[in-house]
Amino acid sequence: MPMTDQGGTPPSGTPPGASPDAVRFEGVGLTYPTARGPVRALTDITLGVPRGHFVSIVGPSGCGKSSLLMLTAGLRSCTEGRVLIGATPVSGPQADNGIVFQNDTLLDWRSALDNVLLQVELRRLPKARYRQRAADLLHSVGLAGFEHSHPYELSGGMRQRIAICRALIHDPHLLLMDEPFGALDALTRDQMMCDLQALWLEQRKTVLFVTHSIPEAIFLSDRVVVMTSRPGQIDKIVDIDLPRPRELEMTTEPEFNSYVTVIRKVFERRGVLRSERETEPGKTLT
Amino acid sequence: MTEPKLTRTARRQRIESFAYPAAALVLAIAAWELIILIFNIQAYLLPSPAAVYSSLTGQASYLASESVPTIEEVLLGFAVATVVGISIAVAIVTWRPFEKAVYPLLVASQEVPQIAFAPLLLVWFGFGLTSKVIIAFLIAFFPIVVNASAGMRSVPSEMLDLAHSTQASGFTILRKIRFPFALPNIFTGLKIGVTFAVIGAVVGEFVGSGNGLGYVLMTANGRLDTSLLFAAIIVLVIMGLVLFLAVSMLERALIPWHVSQRNVVTR
Repeated sequence: MPMTDQGGTPPSGTPPGASPDAVRFEGVGLTYPTARGPVRALTDITLGVPRGHFVSIVGPSGCGKSSLLMLTAGLRSCTEGRVLIGATPVSGPQADNGIVFQNDTLLDWRSALDNVLLQVELRRLPKARYRQRAADLLHSVGLAGFEHSHPYELSGGMRQRIAICRALIHDPHLLLMDEPFGALDALTRDQMMCDLQALWLEQRKTVLFVTHSIPEAIFLSDRVVVMTSRPGQIDKIVDIDLPRPRELEMTTEPEFNSYVTVIRKVFERRGVLRSERETEPGKTLT
Repeated sequence: MTEPKLTRTARRQRIESFAYPAAALVLAIAAWELIILIFNIQAYLLPSPAAVYSSLTGQASYLASESVPTIEEVLLGFAVATVVGISIAVAIVTWRPFEKAVYPLLVASQEVPQIAFAPLLLVWFGFGLTSKVIIAFLIAFFPIVVNASAGMRSVPSEMLDLAHSTQASGFTILRKIRFPFALPNIFTGLKIGVTFAVIGAVVGEFVGSGNGLGYVLMTANGRLDTSLLFAAIIVLVIMGLVLFLAVSMLERALIPWHVSQRNVVTR
């Protein structure tokens, strides 16, 4: 399987001179002050996210993977290096992205349709022109007939679908997803994974997807970035060379599992994961 | 949203929610009457419910006309408290230096018994309407500020991240997200505030006034006319309840989406 250890983007198929990357991290570091002194959240992150690719960042809690998304969105500033969107360094909120969080962050007083249109209103875009598109998006994620339902009448999966529509309504090139399925039950997660893939195959947006789940990352991605913590850094980059559309049955096949093993090994080597026999008595688990 | 059709259980629960307190009230009144009979308590100490009732009906027009200035003071004081309270809450939430400078002082100011200023306010603003409105305002406004600012501050950080990612202005975020998000808390503050405004107005009338229900209480007390005193208290209770219910109805109308306002959750 093709694999690179640090950064880099295969330049195949891109014209010379033009950057193939929708997003580039160049030596990004992030240190923030706390009461106990400065904490280094990210160090030496160099990574390219090619245009139209689905890239996942997988790592343990506190490895700074969500911070990477916040830096990309321009909601936080890095203390070292820089983040580029296309050729422009990020310095503040970006116009051309959509964000989905772990919590659906829907407004209880708005209907599904109006929650999707919130993005349009906040961006001061002409609402009338986006109404039909909002309805179409809800339709495409299986929420036809629920346009006028309120969030409290809907299940967690349905709510998160609305949040995804809201992130796509203004047709951004870049979709940032921060553990979007983390709060859902296992069955709903599987369904959402399949539906997100279908949506991505249709729209081919650049996606930066943060997750805890190794199978989820492999299933969805062209490339999985494996991060480890203290401070957050890239340990390995794994290109996923599986045919699309991918189906749930594939997750039990040997090829899929060999990817799982590769990523799991990184965490075992770093002490994030430990198998029973390696745990010595008296040694504390991290 | 259409009102969902009530099931038989829901209808029974609704009836019970009125029937139980009503029964308890009737029992309490009966006990009151009984205690007076058994212990032979003098009317100037504690009037019987029957005597209170006859004061209430016999002096109905007097009580009604004295209610007018009190209601005016309460409504004006409450209105000013609402406008000023919510404005200050908005400033606290949107402007950091203001929060740092004003919020601690505001909290500390609650250790000052505002009622103690009532005599001074009378000196400054006279015995008329203004001094009572100010006292009602002073007491009512604090719960409104505290609840409104707490509500606007409790917007989840991810929600704000999302809003900031759209490059929306602070005012837009306030109007579309923070304010509607805080409405349940704002109404909690308003419900406390309206009750407090009644207290403020009556205290103002105690300290110096020629009319109003507070004045009725003082004069009835002076004449040991305890049945009129109780009648005036009952009018005040009714006034407070009506105002509270009015705010509650407004709350129901404005935030049907909130968890506290939902009868039936369909899933």
